[in-house]
Amino acid sequence: MTEVKYLIIGGGVAGTMAADTIRKKDSEGSITIISDEPYRFYSKIMLSKPAFFLGKIPFETIWLRKEEWYPENKISLLLGKKAVSLDPVGKIVALDDGASFKYEKLLLATGSSVIKWPVVGADKNGICYLRTLDDVKKIMQLVKTAKRAATIGGGFISFEMADLLRLSGKDVTLIIRENYFWEPILDEESGRLVEKVLKDAGVEILYKSEAKEILGGDSVESILLNDGRKVEAEMVVCGIGVRSENEWLAGSGLKINKGILANEYLETNLPDVWAAGDVAEYYDPILGETVKLGNWIHSQEQGKRAGFNMAGEKEPFKFVSFYASQGLGANIAFIGNIAPLPGRSVITRKYDNGKAIIRFIQSGNKIVGATLINKTEDLKTIANMIENNIDVSDRLEELSDVNFNLSGFNSENINA
Amino acid sequence: MANQQEYQRSRPDSKIAKIVVDRDLCISAASCIGVAPEAFELDAESKAILKNTADSVDDETLMMAAQSCPTKAILLFDNDGKQIYP
Repeated sequence: MTEVKYLIIGGGVAGTMAADTIRKKDSEGSITIISDEPYRFYSKIMLSKPAFFLGKIPFETIWLRKEEWYPENKISLLLGKKAVSLDPVGKIVALDDGASFKYEKLLLATGSSVIKWPVVGADKNGICYLRTLDDVKKIMQLVKTAKRAATIGGGFISFEMADLLRLSGKDVTLIIRENYFWEPILDEESGRLVEKVLKDAGVEILYKSEAKEILGGDSVESILLNDGRKVEAEMVVCGIGVRSENEWLAGSGLKINKGILANEYLETNLPDVWAAGDVAEYYDPILGETVKLGNWIHSQEQGKRAGFNMAGEKEPFKFVSFYASQGLGANIAFIGNIAPLPGRSVITRKYDNGKAIIRFIQSGNKIVGATLINKTEDLKTIANMIENNIDVSDRLEELSDVNFNLSGFNSENINA
Repeated sequence: MANQQEYQRSRPDSKIAKIVVDRDLCISAASCIGVAPEAFELDAESKAILKNTADSVDDETLMMAAQSCPTKAILLFDNDGKQIYP
């Protein structure tokens, strides 16, 4: 049994930022990070970006901390190990290799994993996912020989992969269950706007389509769809969603929904146990609701806050998170909570006959989220509007009027 | 190396004399804006640019913003022109 003051499960952005922050506040307390990946902290964002994927920048750019950073900061990093049980009374975490750690303070920053494609034949060579560095190494290998590629699911993964695969010279078919790209997160007009850039780049989109079976020998040769059509492809990138793996925590008494439940201080219901990043389902004091948001910057900021709180500087996590991406000449950003839940309404703001579209998600009298197509320069202004809790109930016309400057909402708030 | 925006800092207590955004590397993940909204914003091409209020941001925050960039598109230089990040 190893005793450690701060034990962090997860070596991604949330876990690493927490360790970094703790070390700044507590120069001596022992810190151990357990990661189930074989690699130190790297950029998951970079995995699906052209500069890295196409080899235009050195592979080493992927590392976000030098190897020496860990010993220099007296942070012990254990790679390739999975936590298998948590005993909150004895304060012990056991690992899959039989080792166990007794902690004073524990952070659960285990992230999320891809949902595996539940289709017959999805275990064939050539079926891949995009989440980890190993996933991308596999995709980069397949790209060398494949001529035709398919991407499954309408979201960031498909959007970014379709771009990369076209840049790599593949024929690309994008297969979605929905009527348009990114339904129901986007409205049809915004979805079609994204589709247009995909189609202009030569991507074929099949709508309302679901795979019935993957055909081929050891390797995929084609995808048989429910309606009998066949899509030929030597590689398939599946982006049908992620989930947090919390099964190992069953029986620990930890409260879990889709994620690990936490309050605004990122504290779980168990003493001295915090959660941060993709895995945390926490009370967001700005949105006024319990949410599970998965994106890089959100995890980064949450990891920092959890680190401060674990080191004794307790404050609520208050941050309007966002994720932005670009490709094929379009840019897309999602801010705050964009889930199209019942009771929410949407205010649309259209520029240049719909070449750029902002959609504000309204809950009660305020904005809780927004989707931006080709208008990411307004990202921070809108994040501030959400953070400032601006009452928009009788100002919906201003929101949709492109002649009204959005920053006006925030400056008025400061004066108020 | 052409597609870069340079910003000369003029803050006496700062060890960071120059900030550079490599626009080819920037992928508008916008993490810098989350960390240092007084220093960075996105332009109409969705690339990070330096704001004229960047001098108000202290060195530690700037370093955190640069470190937060998932593509290492923010480069920091000291008074002798030596690159200090990444």
